[in-house]
Amino acid sequence: MSGEALPLSGRPGEQRPPLQHTVDRLVEMAGGRGVQAEAYGERSLSRRIKVFGGEVEHLTVARRTGVGLRVFRDGSSGYAYSSDVSERALSTVVERALAHAGVTQPDRYAGLPSPPAAIPDLVIYHPGLASLSEERKIALAVEAERAALDHDPRVRLVENTLYVDDDAEVAIASSLGVRGSYRVGHCYLFLYVLAEQDGQTETGIAYEVARDPALLDPGRCGREAAGRARRLLGARPCASFRGTVVLDPYVAASVLSVLGVALTADAVQKGRSLFAALEGHAVATPLVQLIDDGAHPDGLASAPFDGEGVASQRTPLIADGVLQGFLYDTYTARKGGTRSTGNGVRGSYQSPPVVQPTNLVLQGPATPVTDIVAAIEHGVMVTDAVGVHSGANPVSGEFSVGISGVLIESGRLTRPLREVTLAGDIPSMLRGVVALGDDSRWVPNGSVLTPSLTLEGMAIAGS
Amino acid sequence: MMSFAEIEVELLHAVLRRALLRGGDFAEVYLEDRDALAIRLDDGRVDQALGGREAGFGVRLVDGSRTFYSHGDEVREQTLFAAADAVARAAAAHARTEVVDLGPVRGDVGKHPVRVPPETVDVRRKAALLRAGDEAARRVSSSIVQVSATYAETRQRVLVANSRGERVRDDRTRLRFVVSVVARRDGVIQTGYEALGASAGFEIIDERGAADIAVAAANKAVTMLDARPAPAGAMPVVLANGFGGVLFHEACGHGLEADTVAKGASVYAGKLGQRIAAPGVDAFDDGLLRNGWGSAAFDDEGTPTQRTQVIADGILCSFLYDRLEANKAGVRSTGNGRRQSFRHVPLPRMTTTYIAGGQATAEEIIAATPYGFYAKSLAGGQVEPASGAFVFGVAEGYLIEHGRVTAPLRGATLIGSGIEILNRIDMIAGDLEVKSGMCGKEGQGVPVGTGQATLRVSEMTVGGTAA
Repeated sequence: MSGEALPLSGRPGEQRPPLQHTVDRLVEMAGGRGVQAEAYGERSLSRRIKVFGGEVEHLTVARRTGVGLRVFRDGSSGYAYSSDVSERALSTVVERALAHAGVTQPDRYAGLPSPPAAIPDLVIYHPGLASLSEERKIALAVEAERAALDHDPRVRLVENTLYVDDDAEVAIASSLGVRGSYRVGHCYLFLYVLAEQDGQTETGIAYEVARDPALLDPGRCGREAAGRARRLLGARPCASFRGTVVLDPYVAASVLSVLGVALTADAVQKGRSLFAALEGHAVATPLVQLIDDGAHPDGLASAPFDGEGVASQRTPLIADGVLQGFLYDTYTARKGGTRSTGNGVRGSYQSPPVVQPTNLVLQGPATPVTDIVAAIEHGVMVTDAVGVHSGANPVSGEFSVGISGVLIESGRLTRPLREVTLAGDIPSMLRGVVALGDDSRWVPNGSVLTPSLTLEGMAIAGS
Repeated sequence: MMSFAEIEVELLHAVLRRALLRGGDFAEVYLEDRDALAIRLDDGRVDQALGGREAGFGVRLVDGSRTFYSHGDEVREQTLFAAADAVARAAAAHARTEVVDLGPVRGDVGKHPVRVPPETVDVRRKAALLRAGDEAARRVSSSIVQVSATYAETRQRVLVANSRGERVRDDRTRLRFVVSVVARRDGVIQTGYEALGASAGFEIIDERGAADIAVAAANKAVTMLDARPAPAGAMPVVLANGFGGVLFHEACGHGLEADTVAKGASVYAGKLGQRIAAPGVDAFDDGLLRNGWGSAAFDDEGTPTQRTQVIADGILCSFLYDRLEANKAGVRSTGNGRRQSFRHVPLPRMTTTYIAGGQATAEEIIAATPYGFYAKSLAGGQVEPASGAFVFGVAEGYLIEHGRVTAPLRGATLIGSGIEILNRIDMIAGDLEVKSGMCGKEGQGVPVGTGQATLRVSEMTVGGTAA
C-alpha cells in the first residue's frame, strides 16, 4: 500500500478546475438572475482505518466534492446543492435555488455578509497528513490496539480502534465580494475498550487528536482507554446521596456542548435558551471562563472564516462567572442588532450555515486533580455519562443522566460505581462549580477544550 | 456524469473483475442517485427550502474478515476503474475469485407503492402543509410559544452489482413530516414532538393530516407544563405503544445486529435458542412492512428484505445479518445490510423492529398497576451493547396511582438493561403501533421504524428529580 492520493477522478494528466473557480462561476451564473448569491464548495480526501486483532478490518478512502448555492431575493432565501460540478449541473443548481426561494417567506434580516476587513492567519494544515504513508497510518492504529490489550489481562477486546484523517479544501464566493479558500486537515485515533471481570463488562474510550499524524501517541491512547475500562471493573450502585462530583474532561465536554447550544443567538431569539435574559448577570461561580474560539490553532473546528465568509474570532461567553453574550451568524446578528461572531457553521455543502459553537474552551485557575479529590468528603469522580444529549433538555436545562465512575470517600478514590444517575439542572450546576482540574484536553466530540469540572451539591441517585 | 441507464453491464463486470484482480472473496459496485427536498417552518415562517442531487458510487472488496472500500461522487468509467484498482491494491490478498456473469437486473418497484410521486407536486403545496401545522399547533393553547415543522422527501435510486452475478435495482421514495413545539407558562418550558414517515408518496399527507400531527405535538408540550418532578426509584413501568418501541430498538435491537454479536460485544451472543425474554414476548424486524419508513424492496446489498422473527415466546431465534456477517455465521443474509449512502459500507441494521401485540388492552394494564410510571413517549436514549445498559429520557410521562393514570411527571429517565426489562415484561396489549425515526450507528444514519404494543415491565429504575 502506498500513501499516494488515489486517482479517483479524471484521466491521467487531466486537471480539474480549482474549487475557487467553480464557486466563482456559480456566483456569476446566479448573479445574472438578479439575486444575491453565495456559493460554497468543498473537496476532500479522507481515510478511515479500523483495525481488529492487529489487522486492517476496514479501510475506506473517500473523495468528496460538491457545491451549495444560497440565493436571496426580496428577503426570501433558497438553497440547492450538487455533487456534480459540471457546467450543466451548476445551472440546475441555480434553477432549483431560485425555485426554493419562491416558497420561503421574506425576512428583513435575511442576507449575505460583506467581505471581512481581515481574516486570521492560521496554520491549520500540516503536510505530514498527506505525506505519511498509509502503512504508517495503519501501524498507528495497530500499536494503539496492542497497547490497550497489553495494559491489563482483563482487557478482553478492543471493539473499535480507528485511525481517521481528513484533508479538505474549502472555497467561498459571493455576489457581495466575499471570496476565499483554505486547506485544513486533522487526524485522530479512537479506541473503545471492553474489560471483563467476574462476568461483568466495563467500557472505556480515549481519543488522540492532531494535525500531523506523526504527533499521535498510540501507546498513550491505548493505555488510557484500557485504564478507563479497568478502573470501572467491579462497579456496583451506591446509596443515594447529595455531594460533590468531579466530571472528567470527556464528561465535562459533553455537558459543555449542551451548554454551547443554549448560548447560540438562535436559541435565545427563539425563546429556547434559559440564558436569554441573563446577559451581564452572574450565571456561574467566578472561576468559570468560557470562550468560543474559532481561531484556536489546535481546534478541530478552526478555520480562517466561517461558513459564510465571516472572519473567525475569539468570543468570550462567560467571564469570571458573568454571561458576556451569545454566538451569532450574520442572520441572528442582524436580528439582534449586533455583529456576527463568525459562528455561521456549515455541516457540509448540502446545507446553509447555522449558528453553532466552533471550539468551546473552558479555562480558569487549575487545581491538581489529586488535591481536588483529597478535599472531597463524599462524592463521585464521573468517568462516563450515558445520555447527556438525550437526558439533558437544552431548553429547560434539566438533566438526568446515567453515570459510571469512582466513589470518593474521605478524600480518597475508593470503589467503582455504575447504575447511578446524576440529576439537576445546568444553571445550578454552573453555580456549583468549585474547582477546575489541571488536566485540560481536547475532546473532538463537538470540539471542546476542558479540564475536569468539580461541582458541589449534586444529587446522586443510586439504589 | 452517467445516468444509471447508461451504465452497461459490461462496465460493471469489468469493474468487478478489476477489483478482484489481486484476490479477495467478493466484490461489489454500489451506485446511488439521490434527490432530496426539505422545507422548514420555524418561528412562524417557512424559512428554509433546500434540496439537491447527490450521485456517487462505492466499490467494495471483501477478503475474509477485511473490507476495502473506495468511493467518490463522479460516476464515470475512469473513476470506477480507479476505485476498483485502489481496493485491489489495498487488499494484497491471495484468494482468487472469479466474477460470475451478471444476471438480468432484478427489481420490485411495486413493493412499497407510491401513488403520488412527491416530485410531481408543486413545492408550494408542500410549504402549505407546514403553515397548516403551525396554525393548528398554536390554536391548541396560548402557551405554545414556538412551533417548528419540517417536510422532507427523498427519491433514492440504487443499483447493486456483485461478483456473484447478482444485479439489483431499487427505487425508494420516502416522505416525512415532523413537528416540534415549545410551550411556556409561568417560567416553565416544555417541548413536544410528533412525526409521520413512510416509504410512500404525497398521498400519505394533506393539510388536515399535517394539522393532526401538529396538534399531537402541541398537546404533549402543554400537558407537560403541569408536570411535577418525577420520583426516583424502582417501580413498575408501563410503556405506551408507538414511541415506547424506541426502547426495544436501542436496548435490545442493536444487540441483535450480527456484527456486534460476532465480536462478543453483545449480551445476546451465544444465546440463540435460549430464553432472553418473558414467555409471551414476540419480536420482529420487518423490512417488508408495507410502505414502512424503514422498509425497502431490497437492502443495500441487493438482498430482498424479509420479516424476521427475532424473539418467539421469549426465546431468541435469530440475529440480523448482512451478507458479510451471514457468511461468517454460515447462514443467509436476513436483508439487513443497509447503508446511509454510497459513502458508507453496509452494516447489519434494523429496518422496522417491534414487540408484537398480546392479549390484554392498555386499559387493563393500567388498571392492574396500583402504583407505577406510565411512559407515554420517550425522548431517545443511549445504550451500551456490551452490557445492554441503557438510559432513556422520557418526553411525556405520568404517575400511575390506584390503577389510574394521574399526574404528568417531568425530568424522568428510564435506566436498566435490555435483558432485564425483556424478562420483566408481564403484560402486553394488542395495540401495536409503529413510529418513524432515524437511527445512528458508526456514523451512519438510516431511516428505521420502531414499534411496540403497550406493555408493562414489572420493575424498572426511574431516574427522577423529585427530592
